[in-house]
Order: sequence, then C-alpha cells, then structure tokens
Amino acid sequence: MMLSTRVIGRRLQRSFVTAIPVLLLLFTAMGAAAQETGQVSLAEPNLNAELWRAVREGTAPVVGASQVQGTGTTIPITEGGPRWRGARQGYLIPWAGWLIAGVLALIVVFHLARKRPAPVGGENGQIERFAVYDRILHWFQAGVFIFLALTGLILLLGRPVLLPLFGPEAFGAIASASKEGHNLFGPIFLLALVLFFVRFVARSGFARGDLRWVVKGGGLLRGEHLSAGFLNAGQKLWFWIVMLGGLALCVSGLILVFPQFGQSRELMQLMLLVHGIAAVVLVALLLGHIYVGTAGVPGTFRAMNTGKVDADWMRAHHDRWYRESKEKGLVEKPQA
Amino acid sequence: MARMKFLCDLERCIECNACITACKNENDVPWGINRRRVVTVFDGEPGERSISIACMHCTDAPCAAVCPVDCFYTTDDGVVLHDKDICIGCGYCFFACPFAAPQFPITASFGNRGKMDKCTYCAGGPPLDKSAEERRQYGSNRVAEGKLPACAEMCATSALIAGDGDTIAGIHRERVKTRGYGAGPWGWTMAYGAVERQGQKRQGGQTS
Repeated sequence: MMLSTRVIGRRLQRSFVTAIPVLLLLFTAMGAAAQETGQVSLAEPNLNAELWRAVREGTAPVVGASQVQGTGTTIPITEGGPRWRGARQGYLIPWAGWLIAGVLALIVVFHLARKRPAPVGGENGQIERFAVYDRILHWFQAGVFIFLALTGLILLLGRPVLLPLFGPEAFGAIASASKEGHNLFGPIFLLALVLFFVRFVARSGFARGDLRWVVKGGGLLRGEHLSAGFLNAGQKLWFWIVMLGGLALCVSGLILVFPQFGQSRELMQLMLLVHGIAAVVLVALLLGHIYVGTAGVPGTFRAMNTGKVDADWMRAHHDRWYRESKEKGLVEKPQA
Repeated sequence: MARMKFLCDLERCIECNACITACKNENDVPWGINRRRVVTVFDGEPGERSISIACMHCTDAPCAAVCPVDCFYTTDDGVVLHDKDICIGCGYCFFACPFAAPQFPITASFGNRGKMDKCTYCAGGPPLDKSAEERRQYGSNRVAEGKLPACAEMCATSALIAGDGDTIAGIHRERVKTRGYGAGPWGWTMAYGAVERQGQKRQGGQTS
C-alpha cells in the first residue's frame, strides 16, 4: 500500500518528536555516568577523555613500564618537548635577536645624536678609585662572561645567523667548540660571581639620593651631573642585576651541565628557557654598561683600567665621594 | 613519493620485545643505546596495553627544528635522519622529541653526551648507501635494498607495521573492520556491539 506523503510526513514528525526526549535521556545518562566515575576506566571506552589526557601528559594512573631503562623510557608520549620547541624557536630566538640588535642600534643612534660631553680636565689631581684586586676581579668576570655570552649566542642564534655564512661543516666545528667551551667555563663564572659579590657588596647598598638619581635617569639624556657616592645608583643597580641574573644563569647552568643526576626532560626544558632568557637580558643590558663605561661617559674607563680617575671627573660624577676623599687627603696633587 | 611511517596496533602487541632485539641485532647498536622500546600501560591489570615506540619520523620534526647545527634532514621517503659528523651532542633534540627517541652513548659532566643516535628506519645515513662507513656509524640500510625496517619485519603478531603511511593506515582499518573493535583511542566497541574474543562473549562497551 502506497503511503501518502502526508502520512509519511506525520509519522516522521511523530518519531522525531519521540526521539528527542529519548536522546536527551540517553545523553544525560551517559554524561552522568561519566561524571560519576570521573576517573580512568577502560570499561567506558568512548568516554575516556580522562584516560587519553593522562596518556598525553604522561601522568598517573597511566604510568608505563618498560624493559628499557633510561630517562623517559616509561612514558609513551609527552607534549612538553614540542611546547619547549615552540617557546625556543618561536619566541626566545627571534626576541633575543631583535632585542640585542635593537639595543645595539639604540646605543649607536643615541651616541651619534647626543651633544658631545665636554672633555675631562687634568689639572686638579687624581685619586685611586679601584684597587688592583678590584680591577682583576672585574676583568676576570667580564672576560669569562663575554666568552660565555659569545659561545652561548652561537648556540642560540648561530643557526639562523652564522650557518648560512660558514656552511654546515665549518659551522658545526664552531658550534661544537662553543658548546665545549661554554660548558667548561660556566662553573668558572660561578667562582667569579662569588668573588665579585664578596668584594663589592659592601659598596653596593642603596642609600639616600639613589632613588632621585634613578628617577632622573642618571642625567644621561640631558647631560647633567647628579649627586652620587662612590657608586651611583645605576652602578649599584647593575651590580644587583648581574648578581641575580648571574645566579639564575649559574643555577640553571649547573643543572644543565651535569645531566648525570637523572634530570627529567621537563626540568631541562625549563632550565634552558630560564638560562636563555636571563642570558639575553643580561647581554642586552651589558651593551649599555659597556657604552656608558667607555664612550658614553668620558673619563670613566680609566677607573677600571689604571685604577685612577681625574679629580674634576670625580667631583662631577661622584661628588659625595670626592668630598670624603678630599677630607681624608686622598686626592693626589698633579706633578708640577 | 612514499611517506614512510610506523604503526603499532595496541590490540596485537604482546610485549615480546622482538622488535627491540631485531633492531639491536640488525644495526649493531651499542650497549645502553635504545633506539626502540616497548612501553606497557596498566601493567598486570585487565586492559593492559603495550606499544612499541621509536623515532616516529615526524613530518614537522621537533628534533630538526631545535638542532643548533641543523644536522637533521628528511629523505624523499619521509625518513628523518641526521649527520653524526656535524652533531655536537647538545641534547636539544632529546628534549624536543615527544617520544624520547634520540639516544646518547655518554651522560657525563660538562654536558658530555657523545653523538646522538636514533632509529634510522633502517635507512642508514649520509655516507654512501651500503658502505662500511655507513654501517659503522648508522647501522644497516635495508631501505636501499627495498626492504622495510627489521623491527616491523620481525614483529611476531604484525602489531608493528611499517611502510607508506596511507598503506599501513589502510591495513589497520581493514583489521578494525574485520575484528570489529580496537580502532585506537576511542575504542569504537559501542558501535560494533557484542564481540566474541578468545571464547568469551563480551558485551558492547567492554574492551577487557
């Protein structure tokens, strides 16, 4: 018997209307069942979102076992590796490149654009600013840090920047030497840091006038001289930045460079990111330190070079220390 | 061109470790280097599953992306290989790999790791195919002879299959259709109803 379209339509309508509450009940029951267990179970396969999330994250209760022993052998798959890859390749490397290039460009532009500061006089005597030991420590730390920075940057930025220039074999040799040198000198930097801290911490405490110095930007932009003690606020800040940044570098570095203690992949990924970020920030600020200590403020470099500074320079840049030294009679008269 | 992949059927793997033994034998792998491993989850409980894992020869390989010296390359068949002469042993590929496939012969102070070694899909490495140098550094080159990796060929239950990705996916799909369960992550047992397995009648929804 041929059913009219109207009959068919009405039957469809009725079955559809009946189906909705049935489906709703079914889905609610499934949802309730899932919520009730809320735990990993192979008895409810299609609702095993928890199971497969645990597999993906390598967490309990999905904990694997393997006859093969080694780091990470009991975990089938983890997402930490590709996440670290994304952070390193997508963020750390490009931002590092732009930051360092940008700071370099900024310094060059600033130096070319500013009014040349007046040359330092020489008629009013000298004073010893940094003793031999101070200077040895500074250059030891500086030398080790620059070596570590260069080798580290080769490992971080070498592939996009240097590999096209040198080719795979030559760059491979450069990178291999950089890795060995970087890993060997890393612990030496810790020694330099500790010695430097002990020697300079007493002179680096913040005092009255430091905040004002910072707020006025050290007078660098306007070319004005602000009141300061033996070390101005900028120098003290730089001391603490190097100490804290260096601490981060050393802790992460030591964890990275002695992998025989069973460090997990996740820990090494995190340490590599901490190490890279601290290093890049420190290198960028170091460029500023080098500029200010050389071309930026004429008369400064000789302090770390010969240890003696001109009295006029001292009165302009560290007036409180100049007055104290004058009172103690430490200002050497120039030879006639 | 083919895109060579591995596929391990969780319903068939019996954790016999023949794939590991085959790999180590075929490639003269030194002690301590584990190119392939079998991981067992829910060990000893109902629902125990094992999976054989080695390098998955990813199309967008994280190891290749993070290598500081760019020593990885992908062959025309989609096999991910690397050059041990350029490798500096930094370990970044190991940190980036989701499967912990890269292996290192040494773990010592100052990040001394030696050269990275990993599953090569039995496709050797940069030196001339089937040369002594290639054999010494990378192991056998079965692909150059038109063969598949030793692990997949040796698998006792054909749980581990290797070949072009589309082909082995098709094989796996036929298996699922025939046996009516075990398609992978979502089980699909509900859709296929009651199943007879090893003489036990199981209701749809139960996999163990």
